[in-house]
Amino acid sequence: MISETDKSNPTATLTTWVSLYADNLYSWALFKTSSKETAEDLVQETFMAAFQNFGKFKGESNSKTWLFAILNNKISDYHRNHYCNPTIAERKQSESWKDVSNDVFFDSIGQWREDQRPFDWPLGAEEYLDNDEFNRVLLHCMGKLPANWCSALQLKYLEEKKGEIICQELDLSPTNFWQILHRAKLQLRKCLEINWFKS
Amino acid sequence: MNRWILSCKKATELMEKRLLMDLSWKERLLLFMHTSMCDVCRIYKQQSKWLDEVLFRHFNDQNDKKITFIENDDLKKRIISNF
Repeated sequence: MISETDKSNPTATLTTWVSLYADNLYSWALFKTSSKETAEDLVQETFMAAFQNFGKFKGESNSKTWLFAILNNKISDYHRNHYCNPTIAERKQSESWKDVSNDVFFDSIGQWREDQRPFDWPLGAEEYLDNDEFNRVLLHCMGKLPANWCSALQLKYLEEKKGEIICQELDLSPTNFWQILHRAKLQLRKCLEINWFKS
Repeated sequence: MNRWILSCKKATELMEKRLLMDLSWKERLLLFMHTSMCDVCRIYKQQSKWLDEVLFRHFNDQNDKKITFIENDDLKKRIISNF
């Protein structure tokens, strides 16, 4: 039987890893980026990086864990780049809320519009997150946000870093990080209210 | 608008800013005054906290049944051919 990890033969070992883990890595990358192309690129890059750094791989740690760690770094980089350099169409969409008269949530003096005021819901994250239907609604609502807002959310909740560090890293962005998060959460909140709590 | 009174828009923005960095004493005071008077923003504050927990768990549960397992044989072939 061929051992899963043969330190003397990187090509054979990596080939075995591809057949064992590429689908898991791809499924995870697709879930995190919602883009087939991006997910494929990231998984390819992950294996290339693993190939180049094979000498640094410590045989005693789990190869799957090692590959996932490389992939997760690549996913974070992707979201950081994507947030800092959104495509022009996304930028237009996400900047349109700066126009005060166009604000769906608040009126011209910054008070909640009558039909936008949050109403009280029963809270409890545990029970909702175990509910498949709720997760489906949540994914649907996230899918409606501009893609670079989703990247901002991922950066905030995925990384264990402090917000200040993220903000420094993202000083290329045209808008404050927390203003984007504010906007993204307002929209998500509203979408969940309509599609989950009211229906 | 009076610079000692926050709008709901500004108040809800500050709630978000606070999670990322320290607010000035003036911002803290104005936010406190606003949320003690405004019922709607108090509800928003609770829901925003709830949403933080939901999103945190959503993004960090790695081995979850939410993730659909997809096979991609083309990708595997392409990667192997590059070694």
